[in-house]
Amino acid sequence: MRLLVIEDDPLLLHSLSEGLREELYAVDTAADGEEGLRKARETDYDSIVLDGMLPGIDGWELLARLRREKKTPVLMLTARDAVPDRIRGLDAGADDYLTKPFDFEELLARLRALIRRSSGLGTSVLEIDGIEVDTAARIVRHGGEAVSLTPREYGLVEYLALHRGSVVSRTELYEHLFDESDDTLSNLLDVHVSNVRKKLGASFISTRRGHGYCIE
Amino acid sequence: MKLLFQSVRWRLLLWYSLILLVLITGLCLLSYRLASNYRTDQIDREIRSFQGTFFRSLFASRPPSDKKDSESFDKILERLRNPAEVSSFPPELHALFEGGEGGSYIAFWDSDGSPLFISANAPANLCPPTTPTTENPTKYIEKGNFREHHRANPDGIRSITGRDIRAEQTELRNFCLLLALGGSAVWLAGLGGGWWLAGRALKPIDTIGRTASRIAAGNLDERIQIANTDNELDRLGHVLNDTFERLSAAVERQKRFTADASHELRTPVTIILSETQRALKREREPEQYREILANCRTAAERMRALVESLLVLARQDLPTSGTEPVPCDLADITTGVADLLQPLADEHSITVRRELSPTPLKGDPHSLAMVVQNLLSNALVHPPSGSTVVLKTFVSTDGTILEVSDDGPGIAAEHLPRLFDRFYRADSARGQINGHTGLGLAIAKTIVENHGGRIEVESNRGTTFRVVLP
Repeated sequence: MRLLVIEDDPLLLHSLSEGLREELYAVDTAADGEEGLRKARETDYDSIVLDGMLPGIDGWELLARLRREKKTPVLMLTARDAVPDRIRGLDAGADDYLTKPFDFEELLARLRALIRRSSGLGTSVLEIDGIEVDTAARIVRHGGEAVSLTPREYGLVEYLALHRGSVVSRTELYEHLFDESDDTLSNLLDVHVSNVRKKLGASFISTRRGHGYCIE
Repeated sequence: MKLLFQSVRWRLLLWYSLILLVLITGLCLLSYRLASNYRTDQIDREIRSFQGTFFRSLFASRPPSDKKDSESFDKILERLRNPAEVSSFPPELHALFEGGEGGSYIAFWDSDGSPLFISANAPANLCPPTTPTTENPTKYIEKGNFREHHRANPDGIRSITGRDIRAEQTELRNFCLLLALGGSAVWLAGLGGGWWLAGRALKPIDTIGRTASRIAAGNLDERIQIANTDNELDRLGHVLNDTFERLSAAVERQKRFTADASHELRTPVTIILSETQRALKREREPEQYREILANCRTAAERMRALVESLLVLARQDLPTSGTEPVPCDLADITTGVADLLQPLADEHSITVRRELSPTPLKGDPHSLAMVVQNLLSNALVHPPSGSTVVLKTFVSTDGTILEVSDDGPGIAAEHLPRLFDRFYRADSARGQINGHTGLGLAIAKTIVENHGGRIEVESNRGTTFRVVLP
C-alpha cells in the first residue's frame, strides 16, 4: 500500500512517514501544498494523509482541486477541532478526519478502514482458499498458522488480495509497493512473487503473462 | 408587597399620587372656601339691604319730622310697636306680618328687654341678643339654619335681622360634594395617566435591562435597539452598546487567542505522541532511540518557547504588569541584545550594523530588551543570508526611537496590517520551525504600548520596524 503524507511541519512529517513505513506502507512525503497536489495527481495512492494548515495551497484548497480529477481516499489532519472546520473538510471531499493531537494507532486504524472501504470490503480479514489475510494485524495465516512474510511480501499479498479476481499489472504493483525513494530493480517483483508462492503455495498467485498477477 | 415598592414604577406612582392628592385637596379646599365666603358675603349684603328696605317701608307713609330729637326716637319706638297696615309695606315684606317658613325676619327689643317688634316668621325661641356691646355694636352669627345680624344701638334698642339660609347651605353642601367627586375623579384619572406615563417612560429601561441580561447570559452579539432620537435613554443605550461592543470584541479576541494557542500547542504534542508511540512499538537500535528522543526534545522545546511567550503576554496584559520604570538607556539595552544574538547573525551570515546614540529613558529594561530581541531575531531569520541589518537608536522630537531595518525582500503589503496580531505569520507556514511562536511581534507591541509608545512597520524594499517611546 502506498501513501502520501502532506504535512508542513518537518518533524511531524518525519515522524508520520517513519511510523507508517514501519507499518509496511510505502510512503511518499510532501512539505507544502503545491508539491502535495503535484504528487497526488501523478500517482494513484491508496490513501493520502493531508494536513489542513499548509503554506501555499492549504489543505482544503488542495482537496478541492484534487477532487476534480481523483477519488483517492483522503484522511485530513488538523489542529482545529471546531465543527465548521470539520464540516468544511468533509464537504471539500475528505473521507475521514482526525484532530491533532491524535493517537498513532487510531491513525493507522482509520487508514486501514479507508483503504478497505475504497476496495469495497467490509471486514479487515480476507479469506482466500484457507489463507487469511488480516489487514489489521498485518499478518497472513495459512491453515490457522501465521506465515512469516517480509514487509514487501505482505504488501504484495495484501494488494493482490484486496483486488482479488482482477489482474494487477506489474506497473500498478510497483506503484503501490514501492515509494519514491526506492530504486527498484525490475526483477525484484518477480523475486517477491516467487517467495510468496514458496510460502503460500504455487497456485496462490497466478501469472497472466503480458498482463500481470492475480489472486483468483 | 415589598416587591411592589421596589418597583420604580410603583414608587413613582406612589409619590405622584401623593403629590396629586395634596394639590387636588388644596385646590378643592380653596375653591370651597372662596365659594363659601362669597355666599356669606352675599347673604350679609342681603340682610343689610333687607334691614334698609324694612326701615324705608316703615317710614315711607309717615316720615319722621326730625329723627335727632328724643321725641322722634320715641316715635320710632312707637312706630316699631305699632307698625302700619301690612298693605302699606311692599309685598316682599308681607311675610313679616303673615308668618310662614323661610325668608328674612326681623326683631327689636327695648333696652329693658321687652320686645318692640318680632316678625311673625321669626324662629320661635328668638331672644334679644346679648353679645353685641357698645364697643362692638354689630355682629353676624350663624345659628343652625339661620344667619343673623345682631345689633345693639347705643340707645339700648337691640335688633336681630335674620335670614333662613337652608337653600344656600344645601347648595354649598352640593358644591362640596361636587368638588369631592370631581377631585376624586381627577385624582383617579391622574393616577391612571401617571401609571401609563411611568410605564411608558420605564419601558425602554425595561427593554434595555432585558437585552442586557440576555447579553450577560452569553448572547454577546445582541445589541440594544435604539430609536433615532437623542434622549437620555438612547444615550444610555449607546453607552451600553459601546460597552458590549468592546466586551464582545475582547471576549472574541480572547477566544481566538485561546484557540490559536491550543492550535499551536497541538502540533508539538502530536509529534511527541507519535514519536513515543512509534518508539515503544518495537525494539530498536540505540541510534533510533536517540533520534526519536531528539525529536521529542525539539517538540518539547517548541512548547516551552510557546508557553513562555504566552506567559509573557499574559503578564503584559495584566493592568498592573509593569514593574516600576527605572532610568535606562535604550542604546545600552540594544547593544546587549545585539551581542547576545551575534551567533545567530553569524549562523545566517548577516551583518549587523549598529548606529546607536545614547537615548536615556524610563522603563522596564527587561521588557525593552525583549522588544529589541524579538525585532532583531526576526530581522536575522527572515532575510536571505548576506543581508545587512541596521540597528538605530536616537532621540527625535517624537521621542526615543529604535529602528531595526533589513534589506531583505520585504513583507507583502497585505500582511502589514495584521503583522502584530497574535499568531499571525506572514508566510502562513508554521513559523515554529525556527523557534518562532508567532507571538514575538505581538509581545513587542504589547510591551511598547505598556510603555506608552507605539510600534510601526514599513516595508517595500527591505523592512523597517520603528519603536517610538515617549
